[in-house]
Amino acid sequence: MGFPYSEADWAVVDGAMFMGAGGAMTGIYTAITIVGSIILLWKCNRVEQSLYESSEN
Amino acid sequence: MEEQLAELTARIAELEASAAVTNTMFAETYYYLTIPLMIIIHAGFLGYEMGATRMKNVLSSGVKNILAFAFMVPTFYWFGWWVYWAFPTGVTFSVGPAGISGAEYANAIALGWGEAAQYMGPNIADQASGVFWGAFTLFACTTASIMSGALIERIQTVGFVICAIVLGSFAWVVAAAWGWHADGWLVTQFGVHDFGAAGLVHAVAGFFALGVLINLGPRIGKFNSDGSSNDLRGHNLPFTVTGLMLIMVGFWGFLMACIIVPGEAWSWYPDKATTIYGTPITLSALSFNILMGMGGGIIGSWAFTRDPFWMMSGCLAGLISVASGLDLYFPSLAFIIAFGAGMLLKPAADVLERWGIDDAVGAVTVHGTIGIYAMVVLGIFATGYPALQGAEGEVARISLIGQIVGSIVFFLLGFVPGYIVSYILKMAGMLRVPDHVQINGLDPVKVPAQAYPEGIPASPAASN
Repeated sequence: MGFPYSEADWAVVDGAMFMGAGGAMTGIYTAITIVGSIILLWKCNRVEQSLYESSEN
Repeated sequence: MEEQLAELTARIAELEASAAVTNTMFAETYYYLTIPLMIIIHAGFLGYEMGATRMKNVLSSGVKNILAFAFMVPTFYWFGWWVYWAFPTGVTFSVGPAGISGAEYANAIALGWGEAAQYMGPNIADQASGVFWGAFTLFACTTASIMSGALIERIQTVGFVICAIVLGSFAWVVAAAWGWHADGWLVTQFGVHDFGAAGLVHAVAGFFALGVLINLGPRIGKFNSDGSSNDLRGHNLPFTVTGLMLIMVGFWGFLMACIIVPGEAWSWYPDKATTIYGTPITLSALSFNILMGMGGGIIGSWAFTRDPFWMMSGCLAGLISVASGLDLYFPSLAFIIAFGAGMLLKPAADVLERWGIDDAVGAVTVHGTIGIYAMVVLGIFATGYPALQGAEGEVARISLIGQIVGSIVFFLLGFVPGYIVSYILKMAGMLRVPDHVQINGLDPVKVPAQAYPEGIPASPAASN
């Protein structure tokens, strides 16, 4: 991804220093975590419901 | 007018002196407080491995963990601290570019005798050496504790203490000198970046444990004659899980101690906190990424195991997986990386077990494998970032190759000493507890106390 400043020297950094600062990647990472977490909860809920059903038998 | 100016000048000097005293007291207090926080890591490991032990051996597990702490303190005082300052440039013991390394420098500040002793004891003109030494001693205790859990229920006490000393007061210290110190050759030549010590603490300790485990062998009853394995469940899973949560609490102190505060003679800057490499960091950066790492690791493990042991191990793995780049990651990226570590955990532990390695608490996987994962992942995402404080072109940059080289060195610094020292102990009959003692239980033979005189009732077994 590369250093987000034109000069590879920490002395030029006076604000955000994280990977993807000032670009689109931060939003993409956040979107991945939100969508991924929702899908995960949906799948894990299906597993949980099947466990309840199997415990009745 | 001149009188007023003189008065003002005197007043400014007074205020500057007062601010300097406040800053020095803040810096000293900052590192001082990391020490009890890191003792919580040790308390957590104590609970973690005692809970993971069967009832007949529980106090023996506790005794060796307590001794790991006790022996780290004097041995790190005697020679561990010296190793950190003497070794950065490699086995040449020469002074590095920052001028704070080499045998001569270490002899001047890190020995408990002669002229250097002034920095190794109470001294009103030195409010830094004691707290730095204390924090590093607790890093050493952490490495010994990481190894301790893997070896439970069949290692001899003195044999374990010797392994712990070699790991905690030598092996990881060399890794820290090479990959953490600003003069470390891995940093200056390969741009290795490992802010939170995923490689140089966790991977070194995890693979040291692997070297010992190979010579130590599995617990009796762990593996069947056909190679299949049995699950030797510990006596108290809630104790283990609570211990893991305590470890997570303590790591806030561990990571806090990885920061160099501003404004002191030994600081990188008068006004900015930095990593040990002199690159910028804030406690806010840690807060974002530690929490996202913990959350990601737990969720990744929960999705694939639903087992609270692996979920809390996933919490630790999540944190370790982002530790190398806690100063650089965007929080959502840290979450994704930690989620991957949580997913990786159980399958990696299963592979180890299929190889006949009985790692009772998954330490090789959580600390060794995930420590290397953390190093390599940072190399993928942070390529091009300056690894050290310094002008463009004058300092090495982070790269995938550099992180891989660092990972290999950390693996070897852990595995090789672990294998060699345990092999020597094995030859001397000081490594493995005799079979009949393992069968009857270590506590009745070695510990003049009883863990549960009134017993613990069994809880209902899991249905799936």
